[in-house]
Amino acid sequence: MNLTRRAFTAGLGAAGATSLLPRAARAARETELNILCWEGYNTDDVLGPFRDLHPGATVRAESGTSDPDMINKLRAGEVNVWDLINLNQPWARGQLLPEGLIKPLNKERFLPYFEKMAPEFSDPAYPLAFSPEGELIGMPQRYGPFSFVVNTDKISKEMAEDEGWKIFLDPAMAGRYGILTYDNWNLIHMCLTGDLNPFEPLDEAGFAEFDEVAKTLFKGAKLMTDDLVAMNTALINGEIDAYFTGGTYTASPARLDGLTNVRAVTPKSGPIGGKGGVVWIELTSVVNNPQGSPLAEDFLEFVQKPEICKAVGFAEGTYNPVAQMGDPEVFKLWDADELDAIQWDTLEEEMANSVEYDVVADYDKLMELYTAARRS
Amino acid sequence: MQRRDRQLGALYALPLGVFLALAFLAPILLVAAFSTMPAKVFSLANLPDFSAYYTVLTQGYWKSVMWSLGMALAATAILFVICWPLAYGMAKVFGRFSLVLTIGVVMTLFVSENIRLFGWVLTLMKGGLIEGYVRHWTGAGFDGLLYNVPIIVFGLCYVYLPFMLFPLAQGIAMVPDDARQAAYDLGATRWQILREIELPLAMPGILVGSLLTFVLAAGAIAETKLLGGQAVIVIAEEVETAFTYGQNWPLGAALAMVLIAIVGGIAIWGIGKADLDRMMGRR
Repeated sequence: MNLTRRAFTAGLGAAGATSLLPRAARAARETELNILCWEGYNTDDVLGPFRDLHPGATVRAESGTSDPDMINKLRAGEVNVWDLINLNQPWARGQLLPEGLIKPLNKERFLPYFEKMAPEFSDPAYPLAFSPEGELIGMPQRYGPFSFVVNTDKISKEMAEDEGWKIFLDPAMAGRYGILTYDNWNLIHMCLTGDLNPFEPLDEAGFAEFDEVAKTLFKGAKLMTDDLVAMNTALINGEIDAYFTGGTYTASPARLDGLTNVRAVTPKSGPIGGKGGVVWIELTSVVNNPQGSPLAEDFLEFVQKPEICKAVGFAEGTYNPVAQMGDPEVFKLWDADELDAIQWDTLEEEMANSVEYDVVADYDKLMELYTAARRS
Repeated sequence: MQRRDRQLGALYALPLGVFLALAFLAPILLVAAFSTMPAKVFSLANLPDFSAYYTVLTQGYWKSVMWSLGMALAATAILFVICWPLAYGMAKVFGRFSLVLTIGVVMTLFVSENIRLFGWVLTLMKGGLIEGYVRHWTGAGFDGLLYNVPIIVFGLCYVYLPFMLFPLAQGIAMVPDDARQAAYDLGATRWQILREIELPLAMPGILVGSLLTFVLAAGAIAETKLLGGQAVIVIAEEVETAFTYGQNWPLGAALAMVLIAIVGGIAIWGIGKADLDRMMGRR
């Protein structure tokens, strides 16, 4: 074949243009699955067996660094890319569903799985997995109490639980604690520290109290970071004795390494109906992708299998309880050290002392006060 | 003929021009457009109200801007003092050894900045390499060296050293030895030679190195986060917070535009002063 340079260049241009065509114009996405998730679902232990079940399929998973980061991707037009998104519970109901970024699940297919879950999720079926209209919008799996973390060699678990959030306002604690800057969590925890309910609208006095608490906490903090490894390191080497915002999710990696003096604490009392702890529960939802992959729901069903539940709960990085541990078949896969890493001995009690992580009512105003206090 | 040359030149420059417009200008214009939108919207299909700039001005964000610029300035000044003798050696004294030095410095760039900084965390933290050994040898420990402003400036100096060193060496190489020797012969002191011969003649290198360092350091975030424990909040951090946890893209865009305007202004002023053509040896 005699190819002139001009023809070659034209061909090259045409090839380039084709790659710009929307995916819809090419193949349907029956053999493709893209998952946007917190770390864990993207490990080989989870994806490998699924790939074996679907040998022809291309399965990709990418982990995000924060809930809002992942939501930004969908907002920026990546609804066309992702099939599943895995986030903490309030975002699905509060932001993703109202904005049409996710779509409801097949109830007939997934409701039966709730029956095997731990009592907190099965009786009744976990309410935040449903839209106000009663549609199923995501499946729960990993969860964990999330309040603060102490070094029990320096501050006893009992004392921390009894004093609760007020411990951070104690002048003697100034310079002895860090703040893990998961900003949306900090807002909730700072409200609780000021005896405010973050999930209800606040009045002017409430904002003033929040502002005061935020300024006091930032002033007394020895360090701030959004890196849980750096924070645990500072706790272990004695740079700090506690850190504000943290839970089994952040303490478990250190605990599994044998440093069981790193302990997540849930306050015994607080301003929300007497409770002061908060618990997060992840929901995995199907993205409202116009070319959604049929494999999305298959994957959601696949991660309910006992060995996959374990792989998700014990993925590299952080270790967390999963709702499916209510099923004895699933539970028996955890050994004693692993159960200790996730503080299984007190989990039920901690859950009982915690309220659900929810949409913060005055998020914008509190965020404004929070960032201003952080600057000062 | 000359007109035709110019036309051809424009034609040749077209692909690169289009590429720059798409890859460089378009994102900035997008950010600029977003910065004019009302708070909390996620599309450009709204009436601009510039309220984000009002928020930037009224909510004390100037503190973060000042911290970023101040620390960048400090890092630039320190790096200039540190790098001058080193660059001088590389350009005039070390001969072959300067290649070893170049490779050594460039090699550090092969490792991710975060990993290098975390290495410093392990070195400087309480119970880390320094404090741990001191306590082991003397029995008396001290608090870690992390989580303060000087350590952030140290981090900036460490990370951006190559960006000052190489342009500076290039600049010093431009100072003709004849000029220095002539000055000596005419009885100039070392100080006079530095001030009146070397600094002015190496000025393009100094300006380019300082600009690179300053611009990069002003937008830096990892040093504050890892070494500084967010002892102060830098502007890049505010931008990140606004885009992520704040879910307020217009505010993030406005903060970014403020930084771009300040740093861009300084950069354009600096480049105007530096004779890049001469530095590249074209004149």
